[in-house]
Amino acid sequence: MTEQPADLEHLMRLALQGDKQAYADLLRETVRLLRPFLSKRLRFEHEVDDVLQEILISLHKARHTYDGQRPFKPWLYAIARFRLQDHLRMHYADHLRHAEDIADLENILHDDVTETAISYESISGEIERLPEKQATILRLMHQQGYTAKETAQQMGMNESAVKVAAHRAYKVLRQRLEQK
Amino acid sequence: MKDIEQLVAQLSSEATPIRPAPAPLQLSLRLAGAAFIYLLIALAASGLRSDLAHALQNPWFAAELLLLLLILLGTLLSAALLAFPDLHQKRTLAYTPAALFGAFILLLFFAWHADTPPAPFPVHSFECTLDITFISLIPAALAFFVLRGYASTHPSWAGSFALLAAFSVGAIWLRLYEVNDSILHVVQWHYLPMIGVGLIGWALGARLLKW
Repeated sequence: MTEQPADLEHLMRLALQGDKQAYADLLRETVRLLRPFLSKRLRFEHEVDDVLQEILISLHKARHTYDGQRPFKPWLYAIARFRLQDHLRMHYADHLRHAEDIADLENILHDDVTETAISYESISGEIERLPEKQATILRLMHQQGYTAKETAQQMGMNESAVKVAAHRAYKVLRQRLEQK
Repeated sequence: MKDIEQLVAQLSSEATPIRPAPAPLQLSLRLAGAAFIYLLIALAASGLRSDLAHALQNPWFAAELLLLLLILLGTLLSAALLAFPDLHQKRTLAYTPAALFGAFILLLFFAWHADTPPAPFPVHSFECTLDITFISLIPAALAFFVLRGYASTHPSWAGSFALLAAFSVGAIWLRLYEVNDSILHVVQWHYLPMIGVGLIGWALGARLLKW
């Protein structure tokens, strides 16, 4: 037996009137629709989940731009493609940054093999001098032991943004510590 | 999957009645209304060019003004369409400014050929660009402020057209204020800067219309 496709336009009209149940159904239906679309374009399942979440949040933010009079799917897919492109752009930018990191790492390994590892406590003074957001991210990840994903949830950010912010903080710290 | 179910629960709990945003045509008409009021105020403050009645008898000048007006309306409509994620499913309409700018270039070309003997250059030059830019600042700020309330999936294009619309307001104002018939001057200092304006709008759109 095949499942009847939901009337997305109708659900969205109800959602715009404040119907919570219809909105929840619409969001679930959106996930069901978009998962194969994203799976074809992304390699890892966790990436699909991340982008799906981004899309749901974007749909929520942009719902006032849908009037219930025109087809829903083109509106939804426009948002989905936009967020997917955003994700891919960030993903490739991250890759480039990490490629640069390996070169940095080689230098550090060469110079510092005999040095003691730096602990969070030993540089906490420097960390507190960082911008508030970066300092909080490092505190959560290195003092309290949260993963990047958990940190992102705590701070209401997405995981990639947390990684990028942490990476920038490492760079600043490295520069400052090297100057000392 | 559990995270997504949590997110669905969270977002659906925030569902409240929402009034859909004005449709692109309505939005562009509102912005055009505001632009005309602003233009009237600017002209009231600066005054009209003393030979306006005579200048309007020149068909090239009248056509230039009319096309500028259409460019203002076209770019506003395009920016309004681009403010919606799906361009309100009227993608073709968003290309309107391309046709208008094409017609405008043709018009300027013919007006330049018809300008014999060439009208004398005014003594000033880049001041015109600065004046237009100055007059365009408020419309540009208003357009970006309004567009930020939407959800563009083409923020660079939306920013570009919004800034071109604002610059058109300034350009119309200057043509109605300044006594000047030199088509070469007008092309060089009134209209060529539009290319730069479009590029600045592109960059601003990418930053300011992100959501």
